[in-house]
Amino acid sequence: MSFSFNGQPVAAHAGETLAAALMAHGVEGVSLTRDGEPRQPLCNMGTCFDCAVTVDGRSLVRSCLTPVEDGMEVHSWQNH
Amino acid sequence: MAEPLTCDVALVGAGPAGMMAALTAADHGLRVTVVDEQRRPGGQIFRQRPPEFPHQPWTPPAGYPWASSLLERAESATDIDWRFQTTALGVVHEERDDGILLATTGPGGSALLRARRLVIATGAFDMPVPVPGWTLPGVMMAGAVQTLLKSQQVLAAERLVLAGSHPLLLLVADQLRSAGADVAEVALARGLPTPREALGSLGAVPGHLSLLGDSARAVARLVAGGVRISPRTVVTAAHGHRHVEAVSLTQVDRQWRGVGQARRVEADALVLGYGFQPSAELARQAGCAMRWDSPAGGWVVAHDDRMATDVPGVYAAGEPVGVSGAEMARSQGRLAGLGVVSDLTGHNVDVELEEADRSARRARRFARVVQRMFAPQREALADLAGSDTVVCRCELVSRGAIEQVLDANPGMSTANAVKLECRSGMGPCQGRYCETTVGTLVAGRTGRPVAQVGHFTAHFPIKPVPLSVLGELDGDVTSGACAHRHHRAEGSQESGE
Ligand SMILES: Cc1cc2nc3c(=O)[nH]c(=O)nc-3n(C[C@H](O)[C@H](O)[C@H](O)COP(=O)(O)OP(=O)(O)OC[C@H]3O[C@@H](n4cnc5c(N)ncnc54)[C@H](O)[C@@H]3O)c2cc1C
Ligand code: FES
Repeated sequence: MSFSFNGQPVAAHAGETLAAALMAHGVEGVSLTRDGEPRQPLCNMGTCFDCAVTVDGRSLVRSCLTPVEDGMEVHSWQNH
Repeated sequence: MAEPLTCDVALVGAGPAGMMAALTAADHGLRVTVVDEQRRPGGQIFRQRPPEFPHQPWTPPAGYPWASSLLERAESATDIDWRFQTTALGVVHEERDDGILLATTGPGGSALLRARRLVIATGAFDMPVPVPGWTLPGVMMAGAVQTLLKSQQVLAAERLVLAGSHPLLLLVADQLRSAGADVAEVALARGLPTPREALGSLGAVPGHLSLLGDSARAVARLVAGGVRISPRTVVTAAHGHRHVEAVSLTQVDRQWRGVGQARRVEADALVLGYGFQPSAELARQAGCAMRWDSPAGGWVVAHDDRMATDVPGVYAAGEPVGVSGAEMARSQGRLAGLGVVSDLTGHNVDVELEEADRSARRARRFARVVQRMFAPQREALADLAGSDTVVCRCELVSRGAIEQVLDANPGMSTANAVKLECRSGMGPCQGRYCETTVGTLVAGRTGRPVAQVGHFTAHFPIKPVPLSVLGELDGDVTSGACAHRHHRAEGSQESGE
């Protein structure tokens, strides 16, 4: 299966979390700071929010807790 | 209109503590609802692989022979209402006293659970230690690297440096190496356990296979594999442009203060493992009294011998009451379950309580030995942050900015006052990753103990959600609505404030 991340296709396995798939794909900025700096998952357990993304328009979704679904449209979430 | 009773007991967290409490209460005929953000029971230490992955028998970490049967019992307990991928947002405070209203959000939308009792078993997370460069991609917590590997089969990086002080770090290094990673070095702030300490811990756990035994075997394998293990060494910086490329390691004395020059080690990841900090926001938000216990992880929830907190109807078990390992979490889960049972049903559970109490006491002895042996030197760790180092990862507040606020306000003496003044702790993680450092800095400046400097207050929702989620709840909430609106500005993120 696959999903898109910031417009680019990313391949994934069923059951994988978005965070794991993005890490395996070598994505740098899973989320972005207010200054635009990249962040990657820090805790992988739902506490830090460094893995936050927007999924199909829903913001602040923690990618480490979210299983991939085919065709998801995922974007880096940016803190304001 | 008031919501009907959802269940007798609502539990948050399906780790060893939550599973045990849930099964105990259900065995006694109580209606139980369990909420957990993960997809399956297990919590952090027993995190399982997703059901879609090719089936492989789950092997418990060495030393926890009971884990498999506990997981099996939990997964086959159909009388329990398990709500996975669901986040507890907080307790809605109301004027009535016939139950507890817990707000949650999950796959089916947001919901309010009304329960007669609430058990908080929300576990712990890796203790944050800000060093220059710790916001770079490639810096990860030990728990993250381990769970990515064990439950997702993803190796976080190719060449890693692990740094910290907790024995778990050695287990993670060993697991990474077995999975084919190049472990460049393991830096431990303290020395390796001395033979005397090891003996002391054996005395504390007669008949138990201890975490220390596991770490000793991990050390032996790492050394045999040519991995450098450096005692009395801390990581003082991560370097790189947009990603970790190298780290600086520095020798330290017994107080973990740097002595001598830093040396540079090339690596594409830095893994931090200084131990764990209780996830106690839900308990705080519910109004439970907290207690400062540094070796047990910092601010812990105060409770009585049946795990009841000082808020009527609210119990806490496992790591929120102190980081004491899985054995202790399981015993406390049983105590909390029995406490709720005797409270709600009047059943005589004295024999079971006594037995649970005995195993909790046994587990506590070991936990105390481990806690004392690996207690973090908080002042030295806080001093690893330079003036430019970001302490609040979310709101990008540096140590320098915090100190400026303290300089400008000599009377400022609490962690919470600093939070309100400089926004450290007001971002999406809601202070989980900066509170300890802020508290330690304020304590250092004012000469007051951290216990008096206090903790950040926790607000509803304890994990930020888009405004639409709160909107779904607001329609339902009657008397608790004020609490929502009041905290909305701080807790919700969508508007960007
Ligand atoms: C990666 C890792 C490895 C560890 N390895 C060991 C080890 O080898 N030996 C050892 O003794 N200890 C180990 N520990 C310490 C470990 O945390 C405890 O031993 C044990 O897991 C604690 O059990 P618990 O039930 O208290 O909490 P946890 O197992 O942490 O379970 C808490 C659960 O609560 C859920 N939760 C938290 N907040 C919310 C919320 N707001 N809404 C919904 N759900 C929520 C979480 O998703 C989690 O599943 C490890 C910890 C980690 C993180
Ligand atoms: S990685 Fe920390 S919340 Fe997902």
